[in-house]
Amino acid sequence: MRGGWLLPAMLSALLLLACDVQRPATAPTVRVDEAMGALPDPGFARAFEPRQFQFPQDHGAHPDFATEWWYLTGNLFTDNGRRFGYQLTLFRVGLRPGEAAKDSDWRSHQVYMGHLAISDIAGTRHYSAERFARAAAGLAGARVPPFEVWLGPWSLRANDELFPLILEAQHDDMGLSLRLQAGDKPMVLQGERGLSRKSATPGNASYYYSFTRLPTHGELRIGDSLYRVQGDSWMDREWSSSALDEDQVGWDWFALQFDDGRELMFYQLRTRDGGVHAYSRGSLVEQDGSIHRLLPGQVTLTPLRYWQGDDGTRYPIDWRLQLAEFQLDLEVRAALDDQLMDHTVHYWEGAVDVSGSHHGRGYLELSGYTGKP
Amino acid sequence: MLLRAGLRYMLRHRWQGLLALTGIALGVAVVLAVDLANSGARAAFELSAQQLQGRATHRLVVPGATLPDDVYVSLQRQSGAPPMAPVVNGWVGVDGMPGRYQLVGFDLFAEAPFRTALALVSNRTGFTADWLTQPGALVLSAAAARALSVAQGDTLSIVYRGRPARLNALQIETYDSAAADDLLLVDIATAKSVLGMQGQLSYVDLILDADDEQWIRQRIPTGVELQTVAEQAKGVTRLSAAFELNLTAMSLLALLVGMFLIFNAMTFSMVQRRTLLGRLRAIGVTPRELFSLILLEAVILAVLGTIVGLVFGVWLGQGLTRLVAATVSELYYNVSVTALNLDASSFLIAIGLGVLATLTATLIPAWHAARTPPLTTLSRAALEQAARRGVPLWALLGLVLLAAGLLLALVLPGGVIMSFVGLFSLVLGAAMMTPMVIRVLHGLLARAALPGIWRMGVRDLNRHLSRLGIAVAALMVALSASVGVGVMVESMRGAVNTWLSDLLRADLYVAAEAFDQGATLDSALVEEVIQLPSVAALSRYRDRTLPIAGRRVLVTGAHMATPSREGFELLSDASSVWQAFDAGAVLVSEPLAYHLGLTPGASLELPTPEGSLAVQVAAIFRDYASEHGRIFINEAVYRKAWQDQQVNTLALFARNGDVEAMRREVSELAAHHTIVITPAGAILEESMAVFDRTFRVTEVLRAVSLIVAFIGVLSALMALQLERGKEYAVLRALGLTRGQIAGLISGESLLMGLLAACVALPTGVLMAWVLIESVQRRAFGWTMPFSVDGVLLLQTLLVGLLAAGLAAIYPAWRSAHRDPAPQLRED
Repeated sequence: MRGGWLLPAMLSALLLLACDVQRPATAPTVRVDEAMGALPDPGFARAFEPRQFQFPQDHGAHPDFATEWWYLTGNLFTDNGRRFGYQLTLFRVGLRPGEAAKDSDWRSHQVYMGHLAISDIAGTRHYSAERFARAAAGLAGARVPPFEVWLGPWSLRANDELFPLILEAQHDDMGLSLRLQAGDKPMVLQGERGLSRKSATPGNASYYYSFTRLPTHGELRIGDSLYRVQGDSWMDREWSSSALDEDQVGWDWFALQFDDGRELMFYQLRTRDGGVHAYSRGSLVEQDGSIHRLLPGQVTLTPLRYWQGDDGTRYPIDWRLQLAEFQLDLEVRAALDDQLMDHTVHYWEGAVDVSGSHHGRGYLELSGYTGKP
Repeated sequence: MLLRAGLRYMLRHRWQGLLALTGIALGVAVVLAVDLANSGARAAFELSAQQLQGRATHRLVVPGATLPDDVYVSLQRQSGAPPMAPVVNGWVGVDGMPGRYQLVGFDLFAEAPFRTALALVSNRTGFTADWLTQPGALVLSAAAARALSVAQGDTLSIVYRGRPARLNALQIETYDSAAADDLLLVDIATAKSVLGMQGQLSYVDLILDADDEQWIRQRIPTGVELQTVAEQAKGVTRLSAAFELNLTAMSLLALLVGMFLIFNAMTFSMVQRRTLLGRLRAIGVTPRELFSLILLEAVILAVLGTIVGLVFGVWLGQGLTRLVAATVSELYYNVSVTALNLDASSFLIAIGLGVLATLTATLIPAWHAARTPPLTTLSRAALEQAARRGVPLWALLGLVLLAAGLLLALVLPGGVIMSFVGLFSLVLGAAMMTPMVIRVLHGLLARAALPGIWRMGVRDLNRHLSRLGIAVAALMVALSASVGVGVMVESMRGAVNTWLSDLLRADLYVAAEAFDQGATLDSALVEEVIQLPSVAALSRYRDRTLPIAGRRVLVTGAHMATPSREGFELLSDASSVWQAFDAGAVLVSEPLAYHLGLTPGASLELPTPEGSLAVQVAAIFRDYASEHGRIFINEAVYRKAWQDQQVNTLALFARNGDVEAMRREVSELAAHHTIVITPAGAILEESMAVFDRTFRVTEVLRAVSLIVAFIGVLSALMALQLERGKEYAVLRALGLTRGQIAGLISGESLLMGLLAACVALPTGVLMAWVLIESVQRRAFGWTMPFSVDGVLLLQTLLVGLLAAGLAAIYPAWRSAHRDPAPQLRED
């Protein structure tokens, strides 16, 4: 769901469904394109121009904007090579622009949604959970400095610097307790100096920066089993007040870390007629941190294999990714077929293996797919 | 052949069969209806409680106070926390509506594991955003919306502790289960603002297994308690025991009245049949065959009557249930009974009663009829003779039952159930003695010099004792129950009134917002009030509910001025009580003392945040405020033990009796503080209004029982008078005028009503005595002076006469207007 455009309209539709863990069969499912199609309240700020980022303040929340997230994914291994994928995303949603009424200390215009997932590749099982809380009374929120974003017991914490970043997230049958380090790679400002346009409509853009390779170690829990793990994480930070354009239905998002020390991010926005939207973008990060901006014409994506969810939705989980200009011809294959995030919004987000001309690992996100052909 | 004879008799005397059927049906109906109403009210109450409770197994509370937000917030931030849901709730009034509504504020995001229905309050897009961001956003059930005449988007004005607030109907919930009818659902932020609970929660619901429980217990601060939902429900969500008892008593009363109605109808029917039975015996039908015939008939009647009774009972029950629910709504909170609670046990009792009472009422006369020689059976005189011979025996048995009842209720130890068994036995005994009493009274009347036609009536009554005895007894039972309950309620009302008037010594009472527990006064205000020149003396009270021996006891830390102290009615030696109180001993209310077996000098442990505090009982005081019990403790001792300097209520005494001046001065302070100033009179008035509301349902149920008994007596009397048509025809032929015949019939009827009332009044007073001395004492632990209201007795007498008088109208009219000739020719 990194694609941007998580909007208040969608969230308010989603939030109430999210409240019901044992969702009745009759509960409507939310289609990403429908939910995200609505324009956010015009009272929210919009991203028209590149901005002068101010850190560490910009690591914190931007309540003037409708949506924002701290998005972490990673591939982790135990000493004897057992592999796990993880995702922890903390979303901030502005329900209404402006200050909340002052009638109660529990009143807030801000709501946090969290998604936590662990893919146990060897155990062929994907665990996931979702949480919500209002940003009031200390239930959830973000602050800086020192940096902290939290939602109940799920949190990202740091001191004056963003790294090392402490990630804590425990749920019934899984848990993460990780320490993410800065590593060698600099921060990547995506798009135009951090302004990532999602369509031709002015303001339909986000502020977006990434940390593409964060050496990570810590503990991971499945049930009662604890695993010491280490590996690499990827962090995306994005905030916006934008919406999907009329002709956009969803996206396929690749965040790949190659063994040669490079990283590739590419999102392909899909159009209603099955084509690729002109505002699809990406970036290739070199070993030294230099960046090549990627346009849709440069990247060729071909689905190789589909996995079908219980609701009949088919997700293209294996791909061929070609980037001739940089001699990349890759096969990106799901490390586990079922890595469906079956929560308020249905999307597939999971660990992938990269093979072909280059090797590596990464995360793939597939959104906007529905049971209908 | 025999069956045909029976059936033919039935057909020829359709109205007799019909009346027997009516009696059975009415008896079954009244029992079922009252029972359904009671179980309906209970079920509705429990449903509301359950809906709130959801799937929670435990609850975090601070006994007698609110739970700080921090406790919840810090718990839910810890890894491994079990599902938790914070709740802020309170009772609010709705402008222009009677009763109270529960405003429940919850956090949508925390609710899913607890109350699925609550969590799914809406599936409208954008609902959540509105719900969370609009202060006052309200969700209510369709039924509640109808009752409050609120449509989506409307504003609802509510009052909490005297402070108005406005809610906005964001959503009218159509799912039945989503919101109980008494619930006003709001976001927790709205509830905190409306109820003035910033930084505080009412409680936190939890779903815990054994491990989780351990986890929680290790992390909660002192003062916070983890209670199981069962513990919690005991004190809070149950109907008050007083009301519950009320309902039980009414069910029993209905059972008694129903039983007598059936007995009445069946005995009557049997007595009328003696001629036919005699003839059958005369033509050679064996006693055995006759017995089976009667039994078969009785079974048919019992089954038919019971079925009709069940149908009627369900119908009547619906109306009654609504009435009871309305009372529950006014007293506690709004419940609505959308569907009748068809409780299987209610039906079983009603069916059992219908069949068993009918058969029992038939068996004795049937056995009798089958045994006696044909000629004797044929003679009415012989039968009446037999009935009369039985009278002393019945009376003796009745006396034994009555004595046993009194013994059970008043002398032998036992619980409330035993009291009721005693009461039941007492009434049954009195009913059995009724024919004997009639005979004695009749003897007195017969000796009196009455005009001819009256003397005739008096003699008639004695002649028809077998038939009328039970009818009079039925009327008597209904009347006496009415007297009993009436006297009890009046006595209690009087006692409560006296007690309150004594207690409310001060000229003005000052509380934060209202006199509900919990709201505290600004400490600056308390200081200011003390400084007021018009205030001669004042008392301060701080209330806190504490669990003591499984009861929710209201403990009051009190600093009392002398007149306040004088308001206590101490039930033990009063000397040096106040010195002891000042030294740290406590005053214990009568109910608490009764249930815990406390006497002055005994010691008692009170839970404080620092562990338990041992105190001595200085004295027992009369109290009707709480059946759970109350304790008064010296303010200084309280403040030290609970580390709590707050004050809930001030009682002010005016200097030189100048209440107006004091009121002015206090009112000026009210401009800067949210307080409510109430004169003692207003509190008394309000309290008595609540009392009257509690017992309004009693009045209704009493009336229903009385009406049903009345119909039963009416039908019995009519049957008797109609049967005697021929007799009246003879009298007409002998020259009595229409008016004289009508007079004779009316006179006889009124005499019956009078006799029934004469027995009913002492029986009723006796019942009231048992209710007060035994039932009230054992159930609530309080005693009260017994007072009998003459007006009530007179009313009962009039009701008895009215019933009898009305019963005579149709037969009198009919007999008087019928041409005697055809009737004489008959047979």
